[in-house]
Amino acid sequence: MSENTDRVAIAADGDWTADVDAEEGVVVNWFVGEGSAVEEGDSLCEIQVEKVSVDMEAPTDGTLDEIAHDEGDEFTIGDTLAWIEPG
Amino acid sequence: MAQEERDRRVVERELTMSRAMVEAIAHEMREDEEVFYMGEDVADYGGIFDSTEGLLDEFGYDRVMDVPISETAYLGAAVGAAQAGMRPIAELMFVDFFGVAMDQIYNNMAKNTYMSGGSVNVPMVLTAAVGGTYNDAGQHSQTLYGTFAHLPGMKVVVPSTAYDAKGLMHNAIRDDDPVVYLFHKRLMGIGWMPAPGGPKTPVPKTDYTIPFGSADVKREGSDVTVVTLGLHVHRALEAAESLADDGVDAEVIDLRTLVPLDTETVVDSVRKTGNLVVVDEDYRSFGVTGEIVASVADEALENLDAVERVALPDVPIPYARSMENEVIPDVQDIEDAIQATR
Repeated sequence: MSENTDRVAIAADGDWTADVDAEEGVVVNWFVGEGSAVEEGDSLCEIQVEKVSVDMEAPTDGTLDEIAHDEGDEFTIGDTLAWIEPG
Repeated sequence: MAQEERDRRVVERELTMSRAMVEAIAHEMREDEEVFYMGEDVADYGGIFDSTEGLLDEFGYDRVMDVPISETAYLGAAVGAAQAGMRPIAELMFVDFFGVAMDQIYNNMAKNTYMSGGSVNVPMVLTAAVGGTYNDAGQHSQTLYGTFAHLPGMKVVVPSTAYDAKGLMHNAIRDDDPVVYLFHKRLMGIGWMPAPGGPKTPVPKTDYTIPFGSADVKREGSDVTVVTLGLHVHRALEAAESLADDGVDAEVIDLRTLVPLDTETVVDSVRKTGNLVVVDEDYRSFGVTGEIVASVADEALENLDAVERVALPDVPIPYARSMENEVIPDVQDIEDAIQATR
């Protein structure tokens, strides 16, 4: 894991939270693995909160540096799911 | 980003089966404006097993249509639309509900090409969720592969992986004949019903087709041929891996489509191994297991040393977890059957 503080956190948050009552969700699927190159707008993973399924997208070009919640893991809305090393 | 790195990124992308299905449907809807999707809870809800997740956002209510609980009406509408030149995909939600629309499915969808002397075809896809293993009792847990495969005029598709699901869906939508596309709930990869590891695979972003009638050897082996489909491909693979430690080398064949049926791949395998195990989540009597055994007996009786069938006993699927687990074949049942051929 890099110690670079410029890493961008992917937080389980967004406009979609207005559609759900629950505060916990589950990571359904990672589309890419750690170390993969990603482009801004790429779908990184699919999460599900109640029945709402959401794609978390890369906010920037870079490398998916670290996954914090694996498939099947539960999270609380706002949790960091992963970090991207920009580049 | 270097091209090589981009290629790696595409190859690395893994999808759940529901995502792979939806990607194929969305592609075909973009290519052909006659393709549309209708069913219960398919628009706003995205399909109760995520079979249409995200389609409404891109295509709107005119092409992703929620319908009332009215299977006869909307499946009849789909048959009519198909005859008029459109390419409907109609979702039955649970396959168990087919009974209320049996006339539309069994008499019209399957037969109208024949009944009209070939003056119309019915290029529609009927999708439905199949399978148990999550305690939803006798009217929400059946597979019924055999029911549709038994009916002349219908093609029957049963994918077991994301890669197969996408390629078979492209083929199903482009086919000019009626196709029944049955997806197992346990393979879809939805949050509240986790899939086993196997169905999630790398899936190319571009479109591709998998021809109907091409069974896939999911694991090569020399001692016994295990023929199966759907969820039980993954249970058979697990059983095969487990037995490999005991020196039993099992070949696992995924049929992928029941109609047309690729008997050649199965027979070739049995000629090599001499032993046959057929595993099915449908009922045992008059079903897939009997059909496969009969097909092999027709063509390679002299090569057949031992035969085992693993399927549901002829009882409605129980609600209680312990009883459901008892009737649906598990990894141990498959291992036992393989051992019994030794």
